Amino acid sequence: MKKKDLFLFFFVPLLGFIVIFFFLSTINRTYIKNKVEELVREQLRATAEILQVNISHYLEEGFPSDEILRLYSGEENIYYMALLDDQKNILGWHSRFEGYLPLSQKDIEDKESWTIDSPAGRIFNIFTPFLVSNSKTYYIYLGYSLESLEEMTLYSRRNANILFGIITLTGIIFFLGIYQLQKHFRQKEKEAEAERVEKERYREVSAFTSGVAHEIKNPLNSLALLFELLAKKTPEEFKQEVSAGSREVQKISRIIDQFSATLKPLNLKKEKIPFKDLIADVRETVRKKNVDIRYEEEDEVVFFADKELLSQALVNLLQNALEATEKGHIEVRAKRLRKKALLSVEDTGWGMPPDELEHVFDPFFSGKKGGMGIGLYLTKRIIEAHEGKIGCESLVGKGTTFFIQMPGG
Amino acid sequence: MEYPIGSEKMKQKRSAILLMVCFFASLSSFGQKAEHFYNVDKEIRIEGKIQKIAMEPRYNDNSPFLIITLEEKDTKKIYSIEMSPAGFFERDFFQGESLAVTGSLTSSGETETNIIAREVQCRGETFILRDKHGFPSWRGGKGLNSRKGKRKGNRF
Repeated sequence: MKKKDLFLFFFVPLLGFIVIFFFLSTINRTYIKNKVEELVREQLRATAEILQVNISHYLEEGFPSDEILRLYSGEENIYYMALLDDQKNILGWHSRFEGYLPLSQKDIEDKESWTIDSPAGRIFNIFTPFLVSNSKTYYIYLGYSLESLEEMTLYSRRNANILFGIITLTGIIFFLGIYQLQKHFRQKEKEAEAERVEKERYREVSAFTSGVAHEIKNPLNSLALLFELLAKKTPEEFKQEVSAGSREVQKISRIIDQFSATLKPLNLKKEKIPFKDLIADVRETVRKKNVDIRYEEEDEVVFFADKELLSQALVNLLQNALEATEKGHIEVRAKRLRKKALLSVEDTGWGMPPDELEHVFDPFFSGKKGGMGIGLYLTKRIIEAHEGKIGCESLVGKGTTFFIQMPGG
Repeated sequence: MEYPIGSEKMKQKRSAILLMVCFFASLSSFGQKAEHFYNVDKEIRIEGKIQKIAMEPRYNDNSPFLIITLEEKDTKKIYSIEMSPAGFFERDFFQGESLAVTGSLTSSGETETNIIAREVQCRGETFILRDKHGFPSWRGGKGLNSRKGKRKGNRF
């Protein structure tokens, strides 16, 4: 997978997703915060107006400023409060914090309300004039805690963060899934392309080789007949040589037949085959003195396969095992594992060295003297045509085991 | 007039004094002088030597405040510096020590001027007692229950 693909299919969508969510979430939160702040300001203005009415009432009745302010000192949300005369001189004040009355001329010159930050949180400040019935102007200065608003904002931010976390995580999983899917798809695409090229090449080679085999086979048949005629008319002293020539021609013919069989495409005619029956038939065709073929089945194994081809594959395996075993036995085992059938053919023969084992399924490779190297190659093709797998383990002097995994079972 | 110790008259006098102290204490706890707050518009910085160290009750708090009498270096003017509740300081001040104070002027008497301290520098250490609006550091804040002796700057 290229870095560019990783970037395009994973990071870009994920990043885009996170940015969009973050952007929308911020806009939404800012909008709500502004609206709530607006509402709180309105409410605090209303509170100040109520206080003004009450205070003017007390002032008219002649209560001293300190006494009036004392009445409101228990208000939880009022952090500080001051009463000022028409010259903006402080007549009285109280604060929940020692000496804390952040009233500055700069603030009250041009604005009626403002907010300040304090270690106790944000404080909404309001400074408004009011008239008492004797037409005297007073000012009230109020510092109101915005703790509830801050708590709400904090709660909203925390929820947004949790939501952001969940969505980001979901996004990561989602886009990781897409990325993996895409990666898998690309891999499969590559494999399919490689397979297509290989099949094409194989078809070309097959067509060419079949043509060559056909062209050779005809003169070879004539040559075999000629050798037969020649054998009848040859004097006794040359008969041995003529017979040797005839054998060689037959050998060439056999090789060409096997070539043709190998190159022939495998057309599967599938049917239900109990493996027990198949192995019984095969055991009849391959036998050797002093070598016993044993069969062991854990569960009943049934294949949906081409009987002829599967028999041929088994014959090849057993033939190989028999040839490798001088004396002893061959174990054929079958068992089911979920939706798969596992088979093994184990001999107690001379085994194979690792370098030979590597090429055991290669065409025209054989460890045996005079072997064609077709049998195991064909077996592998038959097993793979049935969507199965074949593998091999071997130890020199101990024996060889072939493992087959087939669908069904 | 002198009364013998433990006599009834003595007890009556003591009770009267106690009542008066309570009355003035209650006045001082709420009805502070109108101008006795941290006025951000009246912030000054002075340097001088410590003349006297005392504890006095201030505001609503029962814990006494550390009050330092400072003689200004150049003008020799006497200032009464209101620092913080005594418990907030983990450091001792001594008579004759040099002190630089940034704070707000509150009221002036005939002999001394009152200052509420915001930042104090002594022997290379800086103590922040209030924020720029005058919020007291000993009141902590959100997640800051007590910021005892918050210092900044170089230490010698």
